[in-house]
Amino acid sequence: MPSQPAAPFYEVLKENERVTPALSGERYVGYFCTYTPIEIIHAAGFTPFRVAGGLDSVSLADTLTPNFICPYMRVATEKALRGEYGFLSGLVQGYTCDVACGLINIWKDNIGGDPCHLVPLPYNDNEASRDFLRSALKELIEKLDRAGGCFSEERLEHSLSLYDEIRRVILDLYDRRYEGSLPFSAGDFLTVIQAGYVTPPERYLGLLKTLRDEADHEREDGQPPSIPVLVSGSLVEEPRILEIIEESGGRICADDLCTGFRQWSPATGSGARPLDRVIDRHMRRFPCPSRSRARDRAPLIIDLVRRSAARGVIFLFQKFCTPHLADYPILNEELKKERIPATVFEMEETGIMEGQLRTRMETFFETLGERDG
Amino acid sequence: MDKTKKSTKRLRTAKDLNRLVIDYYLECHEAKRRGTPVGWMPPMNGAIELFYAMDLQPVFPENWSPVCAAFGLTPGNFDVTDGLGYSRDLCGYLRNITGYVHGFMNDESIPLGGLPEPDILLSPGGGCVPVMKIFHILERRFPKAKVFSADLPQVAVEDIRKHHLDYAVWEMNRLIDFLTEVTGHRMDHDRLAEVVKLSDQACALWDEIMSYRRFIPTPLSAAEIGIMFVMVTRQGTQIAVDFLTAVRDEVKERAEAGIGVIDDERIRLFWDNIPLWYNMGLFNYFEKMGGVAVAETYSAAWSLRLDTEHPLEALAMKSLMSYPLVSCVSIRKRKEMVLKACREYSIDGAVLHRNKSCVPITLGQMDIKRALEEELGVPSVIIDADHMDDQNFSVAQFETRVDAFMEMLYEKKGLKL
Repeated sequence: MPSQPAAPFYEVLKENERVTPALSGERYVGYFCTYTPIEIIHAAGFTPFRVAGGLDSVSLADTLTPNFICPYMRVATEKALRGEYGFLSGLVQGYTCDVACGLINIWKDNIGGDPCHLVPLPYNDNEASRDFLRSALKELIEKLDRAGGCFSEERLEHSLSLYDEIRRVILDLYDRRYEGSLPFSAGDFLTVIQAGYVTPPERYLGLLKTLRDEADHEREDGQPPSIPVLVSGSLVEEPRILEIIEESGGRICADDLCTGFRQWSPATGSGARPLDRVIDRHMRRFPCPSRSRARDRAPLIIDLVRRSAARGVIFLFQKFCTPHLADYPILNEELKKERIPATVFEMEETGIMEGQLRTRMETFFETLGERDG
Repeated sequence: MDKTKKSTKRLRTAKDLNRLVIDYYLECHEAKRRGTPVGWMPPMNGAIELFYAMDLQPVFPENWSPVCAAFGLTPGNFDVTDGLGYSRDLCGYLRNITGYVHGFMNDESIPLGGLPEPDILLSPGGGCVPVMKIFHILERRFPKAKVFSADLPQVAVEDIRKHHLDYAVWEMNRLIDFLTEVTGHRMDHDRLAEVVKLSDQACALWDEIMSYRRFIPTPLSAAEIGIMFVMVTRQGTQIAVDFLTAVRDEVKERAEAGIGVIDDERIRLFWDNIPLWYNMGLFNYFEKMGGVAVAETYSAAWSLRLDTEHPLEALAMKSLMSYPLVSCVSIRKRKEMVLKACREYSIDGAVLHRNKSCVPITLGQMDIKRALEEELGVPSVIIDADHMDDQNFSVAQFETRVDAFMEMLYEKKGLKL
């Protein structure tokens, strides 16, 4: 059962399932991950729409993809082939992982859309790489405009103000989560975030502000006895997974997820012109393993653990997710040095594997409980 | 057939290749001994030419993996990597090199003396994620090595624009400055121009060698594709040009004399994706039914000409194009190349290796399969395997699928078994 403050967000997602988004009058451009410059898509007159995967079986996507890529991309492709994303005008994706890159090209030839564009993103931060990113974003703007967009600097200024405000409100909710005073569960919080993927930002910001106000009134003084943990990993789409963790004795007090903290921090970038601010924020964002070194991520995760008083870390990976799987041993080693216990769970496309997850989590929390007396 | 097997080679120059491989690793160790800085780098980019032009020693950990597979070192390396907590779902190159550097690296029994420790790591941003992660792991393993964090636009070949090239050239210049600073070796631009000319000659020879594979019967099969070792490790040197000239002469002679890989060539095959390095003998398996693997995707990575008038731009362009041409970065271009090869090489059927260790090359394969069928009427078969891990490969399944596929091709061509 969703908590009262989160209920409107569940409603938004249900509404999105019931009513074809195309009928809303919006022109949608899809994207897979949050390294996509959605402010630019919005400033060009399109509504960014994060493509979902979810729990589903795959048959049509077998004709285009091998079974050893992440479940997210497989199920998303399955849904696209079933016509569920027929309302998307196009698809834009920042180059993050190899699978995202390959899928953009596969969608281009099998599902279609205009634009269908992959934005190359620099790995380094210096003057030349920022200039390069500026050129890459201008190329995207050209493509959006050719597809009927209406980009202008003034429009980008407006879009940035909306998205910056959204990020500020959500980071404010994260602060409350660290304190343990957020009056809804991690599953609800994920739903709040996911509603933003399918909703025009003007409407979403209004919902978020109401949520923040209600959260103020419903501050919970006492939390049920549970062990605070940080969840780190790739994309988690099923609120149920987070609910199982919390039902098993944990309380998710912080996260480093693709569907969580990584997309919000920092709320804004600096610079005189709006494009400068998009670039600056991109360069300083909380990093994904596909774009960074485990060595550099470890202290950031440890800092989140300290800030939120988490007592352990749960790694939740999409199966076959190379960036996360490759970083895990180094991250684990760094956490051990700091005496922060961790466990890992891989998610598959066909089901949550509730029994396995629950057993693993209960054992982990028992260990944490014993360790801390 | 065994699960691990070497291929049967027919070229005289194949023997020269063995010598060339040994010499390369001896040179790497000799360089280390005499104090020439050793830099580990990923393959398929323009940094190799910069290294040779600056008298630095390039070493390719990714290329070491096929050598490990050929010598049977891979399972031991995998065990070490498993013990470190790395998933078995990760790329076999990553698992092999990680195990090697954390395990038997300094063991005296390692063939060819193994790899000399790096003084420099050219750590890529660009290329595929597993290669990027390999270098992150190496940075941690070799903390004294000087690290150059490279950056390269990841863009489809057909979409390359001026800003991509400008940034790639800027990165080339940054790399030269870095190498000068950490090694004291300076770039002689006349020398660089010579190296780029040699590199381009090697590419021209490569293309010429490949062109003789159009002959029926073909003088060169994928069983000999180990010759790409020179394109990986020696591009920009006279050694590569001399070796490839010898190969070209032999292949030309055989082609013009009508000497094929086998006496009775009946079916011409295309191979997509990386070979199974631990079992190159698979390429000979087709031969019992008159099949020869005439062309493959992977060799296209070296089929690039360089603009010798503009050496730095040429190397930047090579870096931008080489990997995308064979991966999912440029599926359309890759598909176009495969179709062109199948037309020009009179291909009867394609074998698509669905490679658990290489997602970037495997993605797009199904589009290629469909295009082959619809546009050329060329049938194909999918082989599930892995270029490094024989645990992900079933010989029996391979044989069953290939036998049935070959029978179908025989029927299609009106041949009798």
